Amino acid sequence: MKRNYSTDELLACVMSRYIDDGENVASGANALVPQAAGLLAHFHHGPNMRFYMGQTWTNVFNVPSVQIGSLTDYKAYRGNAEYSRRHEEGFDRAFLGRKRGAFSTFFIGAIQIDRYGNLNMFGVGDDYHHLKFRAPGIVGLAHCLNFMHNIYIYATNHTKRLFVEKLDYVSAVGYGDGPDFRKKWHLAGPGPKMCVSPMAIMDFDEKTKRMRLKSVHAGFTVDQVIENTGFELLIPENVPFTEPPTDEELHILRTRVDPAGLLRG
Amino acid sequence: MEAQKELKRKSLIIDEKEAVSCIEDGMIVAVGGFLLSSHPMALVRQMIKRGIKNLTLMPAISSSLEADLLIGTGCVKRIITSYCGAESYAPVCPLFRAFAQQGKLEVYEVDESHYYSALKAAALELPFFPDRAGVGGDFAKVNPNYKLFDDPLKGEPLLAIPPIAPDVALLYAAHSDPFGNIQPLGTGFGDRMIWLASKKVFVQVEKIIKNEEVKQFPERTAYFEVDGIVRAPYGGHPFAGPGYYTEDAEHIREYLAAAELLAKDGDRTSYDAYLDKYIYGVDTNVDYLEKVGLGHLLSLHEDIGIEGE
Repeated sequence: MKRNYSTDELLACVMSRYIDDGENVASGANALVPQAAGLLAHFHHGPNMRFYMGQTWTNVFNVPSVQIGSLTDYKAYRGNAEYSRRHEEGFDRAFLGRKRGAFSTFFIGAIQIDRYGNLNMFGVGDDYHHLKFRAPGIVGLAHCLNFMHNIYIYATNHTKRLFVEKLDYVSAVGYGDGPDFRKKWHLAGPGPKMCVSPMAIMDFDEKTKRMRLKSVHAGFTVDQVIENTGFELLIPENVPFTEPPTDEELHILRTRVDPAGLLRG
Repeated sequence: MEAQKELKRKSLIIDEKEAVSCIEDGMIVAVGGFLLSSHPMALVRQMIKRGIKNLTLMPAISSSLEADLLIGTGCVKRIITSYCGAESYAPVCPLFRAFAQQGKLEVYEVDESHYYSALKAAALELPFFPDRAGVGGDFAKVNPNYKLFDDPLKGEPLLAIPPIAPDVALLYAAHSDPFGNIQPLGTGFGDRMIWLASKKVFVQVEKIIKNEEVKQFPERTAYFEVDGIVRAPYGGHPFAGPGYYTEDAEHIREYLAAAELLAKDGDRTSYDAYLDKYIYGVDTNVDYLEKVGLGHLLSLHEDIGIEGE
């Protein structure tokens, strides 16, 4: 089947559909796809959203086009900022779930993800002082996962190396070891909602909090997803295909969000 | 009556060498900025030239190749970090990764929330700051300085984050007057928190502005009361200086190619050549900029690409 969109474009469209009008959306470093998803939602159905751009809060609904890119782009800041936010403010109130001025939606990644949506960003290897692979660090994700209401996990690939039976280190907790974990540790937020990979969309079973297959993207099969996941995924009886990007979504993406075509490689 | 001796407000402007002269082996040194923007590289390069060793480096909260360079030049024993990567250029900084894997670099693992908690604890002179980030996970295992405890009021599990007070902070901003009223362009990232907690603070700026200009827009002053200001135009190169220049993609790739060779094969040839060319073989920021080249520098200016409306 020939697709008229790239995988990154598909993922941006998929993620954008989970973002409601009125949300305050942020994305992290080296995360062009989540950045594009937030802006696509804004232009497509979110005139009252706020977007975190160049370290500031802004609404660019009436701006003809922007360009996804570096998190520290001062040109984006200068042209569009409505609120110039010092970074540390994010730790006074802005990540605190439903409080004013909060990030409400964030997409996060990791080098290892387990069935309960726990994340490892420290590294791989038994000896922490001599890791086989040293990862960049957890950024602020331990904090985000404690509080924020709309957390989505964005997996840049779908392999057994990423989706593992057991994390080498738990840098940030999703549902810990099951349904009672967050309550036991007094973690205020609800935990991750969804996980999006280049193969599939997964959510978390309400009762067990285990990761569950929700849909597979065009060109992939349920069996392929199972084979490339290092833990046992819950598989419902009917697994639909992921809704492909609409013409309108692709048009907005290519003309208003990413005119330079970074998502097309 | 004797004539009163003339009193004068003191200028804090010093040169780049003087600014790093108080740094000693083994200190805790903070370096501000964020990812590929706003690092005080003229000061960082001078510190490297001095051959400082065994630092505990507290780089920007999202740190990048400025930290990698300090690691690669042997200045750093321990890094306090929540992230060390270079956005789309490199998901993990190469020498941070290699040195940590080889056990040559201690990592003091923090979440961004802990980073600010540690600075807040230091600024408030508290023994620790309570933090919920990382509760239920492995933070206390990988960072033995942390302690999990039950809060005495409600019994909720929390992490105690000990204070970190940098001995010296090196920061970057667009502007300052001669008296240290620091006015960054943009948000200033997390630099104000570093300033709050640090014992000494030196700020590298693009431009010295008049005190009268500060007074026209006092709301732009992010912080004040610093120990020295260094005027170093284009001195944030190869990283972005908000309001002045963008990051230098070409130079960043030149650094990364050399660093990756060292990280992968232990081959120092390219890396040493880079250091000789841009750091050990030059004296001042101006000499460095001459090495980079005037035409190349000017091609980075933020106004490039602005077309007629």
